[in-house]
Order: sequence, then C-alpha cells, then structure tokens
Amino acid sequence: MHTHRLFSAALLTAAFVTTATAGAAQPAKAELQIEKITYRVTGLFSRDREKDLRAAFEELPDFKLVAVSFDDAEITVEFAPAKLFPGQKPERVTELVNDKVRSVTRATFGVKPRRTVTRDKLRQVTIPVAGHDCKACCLAAYEAVAVLDGVEQATASFKDGKITALIDPAKTDKSKLEEALKKKGVDVGKSGKP
Amino acid sequence: MRTLLVSVATFALSSTAFAAPPAGFLADHCVSCHDATGKDKSGGLDLTALKFSPTDPENFALWVKVHDRIASGEMPPKNKPRPPAPDIVATTKTLHDDLVAAERKAVAANGKTRLRRLTRVEYENTVRDLFDLPGLPLQIDLPPDGQVHGFDKNGDALDLSHVNLSKYLEAADRVLDTAIAKRPNAPAPIKQRISLVNPHGFVAHVLMNGDAVLLKDKRPDPDFPPAGDHAHIDQGAHERMGSFHNGASVGLFRHEDESFHPYFNEFVAIYPGRYRLTTSLWAFQWDKGKVLPARGTEAARLSVVQLTGDGRGGGHPSTVLGYYDAPSMDEQKHVITTWLNPRETIGFNAASLAPAANYARKGRAMAFTGPGITCDYLDVEGPLHDTWPPIGHKRLFGNLPITKFDPKENVGVRAPARAPDRQQLFMGKNKPDPVEGIWTVTSAKPLEDADRLLADFLPRVFRRPASAEVRNLYVARVRERLKAGDCFELAMRWAYRAALCSPDFLYHVEPAGELDEHALACRLSYFLWNSMPDEKLSAQAAGGKLKQPEVLRAEINRLLADARSQRFVDDFLGQWLKLRLIAANDPDRKLYPEFSKYLQDSMMAESLAYFRELIDKNLTADYLVKSDFAMINGKLAAHYGLPAVSGSQVRRVLLAPGTPRGACITQAAVLKVTANGTTTSPVPRGAFVLDRLLGQPPAPPPPNIPAVEPDVRGAVTIREQLDKHRNNAACASCHRKMDPPGFALEEFDVIGGHRARYRSLGIGDPATRGMIDPFIGIGFKLGPKVDSSGVLPDGRKFSGLAEFQTLLAADKDALLTNLARQFAVYSTGRGVSFADRDEIAALIATTNKNGGGTRTLVYELVLSQLFRTR
Repeated sequence: MHTHRLFSAALLTAAFVTTATAGAAQPAKAELQIEKITYRVTGLFSRDREKDLRAAFEELPDFKLVAVSFDDAEITVEFAPAKLFPGQKPERVTELVNDKVRSVTRATFGVKPRRTVTRDKLRQVTIPVAGHDCKACCLAAYEAVAVLDGVEQATASFKDGKITALIDPAKTDKSKLEEALKKKGVDVGKSGKP
Repeated sequence: MRTLLVSVATFALSSTAFAAPPAGFLADHCVSCHDATGKDKSGGLDLTALKFSPTDPENFALWVKVHDRIASGEMPPKNKPRPPAPDIVATTKTLHDDLVAAERKAVAANGKTRLRRLTRVEYENTVRDLFDLPGLPLQIDLPPDGQVHGFDKNGDALDLSHVNLSKYLEAADRVLDTAIAKRPNAPAPIKQRISLVNPHGFVAHVLMNGDAVLLKDKRPDPDFPPAGDHAHIDQGAHERMGSFHNGASVGLFRHEDESFHPYFNEFVAIYPGRYRLTTSLWAFQWDKGKVLPARGTEAARLSVVQLTGDGRGGGHPSTVLGYYDAPSMDEQKHVITTWLNPRETIGFNAASLAPAANYARKGRAMAFTGPGITCDYLDVEGPLHDTWPPIGHKRLFGNLPITKFDPKENVGVRAPARAPDRQQLFMGKNKPDPVEGIWTVTSAKPLEDADRLLADFLPRVFRRPASAEVRNLYVARVRERLKAGDCFELAMRWAYRAALCSPDFLYHVEPAGELDEHALACRLSYFLWNSMPDEKLSAQAAGGKLKQPEVLRAEINRLLADARSQRFVDDFLGQWLKLRLIAANDPDRKLYPEFSKYLQDSMMAESLAYFRELIDKNLTADYLVKSDFAMINGKLAAHYGLPAVSGSQVRRVLLAPGTPRGACITQAAVLKVTANGTTTSPVPRGAFVLDRLLGQPPAPPPPNIPAVEPDVRGAVTIREQLDKHRNNAACASCHRKMDPPGFALEEFDVIGGHRARYRSLGIGDPATRGMIDPFIGIGFKLGPKVDSSGVLPDGRKFSGLAEFQTLLAADKDALLTNLARQFAVYSTGRGVSFADRDEIAALIATTNKNGGGTRTLVYELVLSQLFRTR
C-alpha cells in the first residue's frame, strides 16, 4: 500500500524529460536515458542557502542542478536513474537521490516528492522569533517546524526575526509550530529584529 | 621503700646476657621518677622493671631512648640535680657499647637489610627500562606497598602475597604482549589535526552557551557568532552545518571542572608507542565580543587521558603531560613527544583561568569581559618508530625474522593468538593499519636460539650474571613447550614470563656483608634512578671497577645528570616530605577560592625543582629551611606575592632579603600536605618539622586525648585552643617541642599563602583581594590575627617565622644528619640503626669537611660502609 502510494505520487509529481545523447553510444540505451526531475527540497530555509545547495551539487557529478526555486522550495535536476541506481524500482529513486543529497550535505539538505496540495489550500504563517544570526541556528529552527506533518514549506531567519511556514490548515496550526520552536529552545513571540 | 626500689632496678638491669647498663647511674638519677609509682608523670617508663633484652626490638628501642635522653641532657630534667659530667659520659658510652655490640651480633648472620622485593614504582620503572616501554602503566594494577621509617622501600613493608604473584603474572603477560612485535613492519604513522571543538570533546557544548568562542584571524568567527542574549541551539545542527570544522580556533574562558573535560578524542591511540603532539596556543582578553591583548601569558595543561569504561561523561583518569605557555596574542607552538597506550587520548585544560560560567550569565559571552586561552589545533603524529622491530622485542628475540605463520607448513604447531587491530572507541577517527595473517618470530634452531637469547636476557632481567645451570632450567622450559606444540614465540614466552615472576627479578638480591659489584650497581641505580642499572653501570660492575671511589663518584654524577634521576627526586620527595599526599584533600572552596589544580601542580613543581637545585648546585642543608632563591612560575609568584614571573615554567628567582619563601619549610606543597584543607594546626606541622627535617619524631599521642578541632567561625585561634591542651601535663612534654615550629608556620594558610590574619566564614572583617585573581569571587572574612611567635624547648625565643628560620638554619648539622638518615633509609631499604649512628656521624664529618653540600652528602653516603653493606 505504502509502495503503491509512493509510486503514484512519483508519477503525478515528477516531470520526465528524455534527452537524446550525442557521441559514441557504447552503453545500453536505457542507461543513457537522462531524466529531468523536479523535487521538493528540504533545508532551503533562506535565499542564501541556494549557494550552499549549488556547492553541494558540485560534489554530485552525476547530477546536473538545472533550476532552484526558493519560493517553491523546489529544485530540478538532470541525471540518469538507470545508470545511477541500476536495478532499482522507479518508486525508490527519490529516496535514493535524497540519500545522496543528504550524504554530501551532512543531512542539511534533502529532497522529497513535490507537494500534492495546491497552494490555494495552504496558509502562510509567520512567527516572530529572537535568536542568533547563525546559519546553523536557523537550520535548527527550520527543522523544528519543517518536520511537522502539514508543514509544506518553511523559512527561518533570526536576522529577520521570523520563521515562516506554508501549512496545511487541515493538519496543523500556528500554535503547534510555536510549541515545536519553544521545545527547540527558540525564543518565540518577540522578534530579534531591531 | 627507696632501698627496695633500687634493689629491684639493679636486679632487673643485671638479669641479661649482655653487659649490664649502668644500674648505679640510673638508680641515682632516674628511678626516683621512672618507677612503678611514677608511670603517669614519667611518660610511662618504669626503669625498675625494664630488663636489658636487646634481642627484643621494643626493649632495644627503649634503651636507645634512655641513651638518647641522657646524652642530649634532656634527662635528668632541669629541676633535678645534674649528674657529674664524667658520669654522664661513662654511662652513655657503656650503654652505647652494649647496644652496638648487641646489634652487631644480631645482624652478623643476615645483614641489616632484609630481603626485599621491588616496590611497585621500582617494578614499573624496571620493566619500562628493560623493554623500552616508557609509558606502560603497571603499578596501578599492583597492590599498594606499605611504609616503614617513612618510605616504602623497607623490607619490613614489602610483603609478597598470592595477590602480588597473580598480579605479577598478569603484568608479565601485558609486558610481553606490548613488547613483542606482531607484524613485519611498523604500523604506518598517522598525521591528524584535531580541533578542540571536536564532536565528542565537550567543548562544542560550552561553545553553544558562551563559555568559549570560535575565532578566525583573532576575531570572532562570523559563521559562529559568540553566544549572547541567546545561546546557540541544537549542537547537532551546528555539527552538520560544519560550524566546528571550518578551521576556526577555539577560545576558552572556562577551565576544566567537574562537568567539563575537554578532550581531543577524535584521536584515540590504537597502537602503543611514542607520538609527537604539536599544539598552538595564545591568550587574549575578551571584551564583550572583542579580542584584545591579554593580561599576560596564560597556561594550558595537556594530559594523557585513559578512556575507561567508567569515565562516561568525562572525568576519565589522566596524567599531566605538562603546562604550556599561551602568550598574549602570539601563537606559541609546543611540540611534545610522549608515549600513548591504546584507548588513550589527549585532554586540555585552560588551566590558568579563573572559573567562568557564562552559560548561566545574562548576555553570556557577549556580556563577558575576561581572559581567554586559544587553542588553534592539536596535531598528532605517530606511532613513531626509529627501528623495527622495537627495542623491547629485540631484547626478547634479537634479530630473528618475523614471518607469516602458515598453518599448512606448521601442522600441529600452536600459533600465538592475535587480537585484531581496531579502533576501540567510536569517536576516534584514526584508523588501524592491520596486517593480514599471523606474524611471529621464527627460528630454524629453536633450542640454540633459546639458549642464546636467554643468555642475553637473564643477566639483564636479574641484574647480575645468571649461571648456565639457571639458564638451562629456562631452556628446558622452552624445550617442554616446543614439544607440547607451541610455536617458538609461545614457547619463549613461558621462559620470559617465568623470569619476570622469579625472585631473581622481583627481589633485590644482595649478599650478606659487603655488597658485590652487581649488588652495589643495583643499590646505586635504585637509589638515583629508582630502576635497574643501565648497560654502562652493569659493565662497570662486570668489569670489577665500580668499587673504586673515583669510578663510583663518576657514576653518581652520570646517574644524577640523566633524566631518569627525576624518578628519584619525585619518589624521594613524595615520601620524605609526604608530597604524595598533595591531593589528599581539596581546600575548602569558600575559604580558599583561589585554589586550583594548576596551583597544586605548580606547588609540586616548585618542591621538586628546588630539591633538584639543591643537589645540582650542591647546596648546604640549611637551604632546607632558609633560602635566598625560589623555584617558581608565574602562578606561584602571584600566590606568594612575589614580583611578577611570566609563564608556566618553574625557574630560579632570587629573593629579596627577608623574603620567607624558597626553602622546603615554606613551600606551598609542604604547607598543604601538613594542613587539612580547612585550617592549619601547629601540631601536625610542628611534628612534620621535627620528624621529617630534624629527624626527631615526636612520640605518638597518648590514647583518649581528643584532637584539637579547628574553629572556622573565627572566634578562637588555634593557639588559644592549644594553650588549654598544653596545660595537661601528659601533653605538655611533647607539645613544648612540637608546637613552636608549628606556631612559626602559622604564618601560612592551608594552601601556603602568607597571612597576617586567619580566614573566617563567620566573625571577621571584610577581606581584601590581595593577589587573588580578580575573576575569582571571594566570600571569606578576616578573623583573628596570627601570632607566629614561640619559644624553643631550649628557651630560645622567636617573634615570627623569619627568626625561627634563622634559628633552625643555624642547626645545620642536625638538618644534614637528618637528610643523611633519610637518604640512607631510602637507598638501603632499612631503618638507620643505633650502630649506624657512628657511620652517619663520620660521613657528616667528611661531608662538612668538603663543604657540607647535599650532593657531597650523596657521594659520602654511597662511599660509606653503611651503603655498601647489606
């Protein structure tokens, strides 16, 4: 059941583009099939994290980072799944890509399937916070809310004094996010921004 | 009645096989008090019932006491008529001759020194030197040794139980496991740079909370701003983000404490051996986010930490490697080569800093102004091998080849068991360099090789020639094991283990009477190195030259110049001045907030360095109590209120006239071991001076006399309490000798600080800070004034310590004689007997004739029959 759902989600959310490869075609055709896939990216909690993300993909030569959308927290990458993950079922590809991304970023970035809920059904919440203008502290605050069920997207900036999140009101609410932040040690309710 | 008593005394004294002590003298001048009716007032001595039975040690000791009291003029007491001088001389001579004759008769057969085994310190040093394993810990697993005459080297204290033997067997196996090479080549040395903020080293946690900061280019690391109103959150997130692995230096404000133990445990030793450590340190003044020049040179401590199972959360056992300077804003690189055992890592302590707790303070690091110590990195390189196989292995197997054991070619032969090379601790990032298969020593002619190897090994381990007969016994053991299916290495291990557990190794083998050359070499090396003779000393003994005075003198100089002589200094002072007890108590934190482990280690360093200076510069014995120089570092200079000295290293500093510091008697280490951590008492300190420095140990306290309890409220001084105590006649006779030196030393508190008033936690005036670090809070008050005046038993008065020092220093012969006795006990492994006194007196006379120096004393002692006879 779980596998079936994952597979359906992959079919619904991933955009497949097959590209012909020029040059001497020695390997099997399937291995050469480059696919362009868009994923939801985790860990992209601020605009300046895009630089870190691009640097991380420099360490993944089998992937080409085609596009990064901070506003949608999405990335588009090109790679050859059959060559990279031979013998793996398509529904496992996202998980395997996620493993690679987490591995080179010490689990500060990750990927998962694109969200299935349309934007108009989500609600933006902003929580004023005070804390350190420190990238790792922002990551910690981001992760505190990003892992909650119903949080589709989030940003964190102690410099700006706020955590923002795109939430599914059917699954969560602002108070739950505030509770998670407090548990993490974040000073919630007053903005540290001057 | 009187006539009857005299008759009884005469009968008692004459009922022995020895020449009778002068009964007439005793009857005329002593028994009027020392009879059965006067027991309570005369120290419990009833001369009317005291027979002369010198074969009984207690009886012998009592007669020695009688002799000494008469000879010193202490008895008869001053309120009684003095006997004519010729009578005193005749009486003491008769008694002296009787006692000496009795003693000589008793020791003629077996010598004065009983057969004694190695102490555990000697055992460890000997094994380390034998196999070139300088950091192998062995004594910690051996039962503690007892003490007699103030030292653990006395045969009376060195029993041997089945527990000792089983521990020796275990130790021998450990030694052989470590010494024997198990691979054809040395393991590849690793080179590893470690940040103090490594993931499992405790510093990351305090960084998050403001007790440390990350610095780059001597400024706060912009990627990790100092904790301020807010602490950093989620250490794991910071580790994943690489906050602690970006090459930043770590500036610490907090020294080691009960819950904070910084370790560089990304490196944990896998292979035993020598490792080169390089660290870069500097100091700074932190001012709410700014890095400024420091107040001076700070000091950090590096230690070897044994990561044991029971040290979870920090607090693992450790040994100090040393203290290293961190100059202001200027990186100083320190290179240390040390031995590490498996599961050992390096610990760090920002030792010279006052306790800081920014984590609990509003504003944390951004609100803090104070000193910090920066560690840029620690580089570890090793294990370092100049030669392979190592020296220890060569001592066992020479140059026999180490080959891969092939079971097919060795059917029925038992191979040695080998534990796999592995990193035993998950936090250690250094990896092993394993070899495939089992590698072991092989021999084409095992019995011939066994005989050859044992012919080299046994004399070395027994510290004297081993006869062919003895060697054959060991070779026979090897033969048996080979027949039983052991490979060559295993068979030889049986022989080596047997040798390491044999009496020839475990005991000091000395012939009765005059020592032979080898026994003399051993006595000398265990005196000055606390270990076995080296090849040169053994060669001198084998060549029959060691007994020549000029050769012996040259060897003394050579041994004292060698680094191994530090073991003598450490061990001798540890026992003579009781410095082993330096950590027996921690001073009360409220009364002595300035105390720290760094101060304690500096105290020890001072005493050891000072004694070394006495020997090296051949200074006279009065330097034990009065000096014109001190051996101090920056920490002690501040503690003593002396002019500024920079840095952690102890050096010779000249003292202004009238400065009471420098000499043993006013060294903080001595003053600490004679105090109880809360307050001082003239009694133990006075007893210490009498016993340890003057060689006049006071009698033990009578039973049922309560101890004098300190009054830390500050209402009553110890002198006032003791005055009451001294009013008791039973106490007065000893206390009039013991208390005066203790009164003089009342000028010093429990950590050796100079004081004019007692510290108090109750009544008193507000205290001034003095030399206490401004970052240390003080809560004590100033109580009553110290009165350090006193009167010596002979009536001489002193107004304070300075005058007392002068009086004590004038008695140079007493100090030198006592030092000679302490050296004699330590080096011969027995107490100084009554008959030895003449020998001691003679060597003191020769020493004085040659300037009276302490090194001269060592020469004269070693040249004396006292040293050279068992």
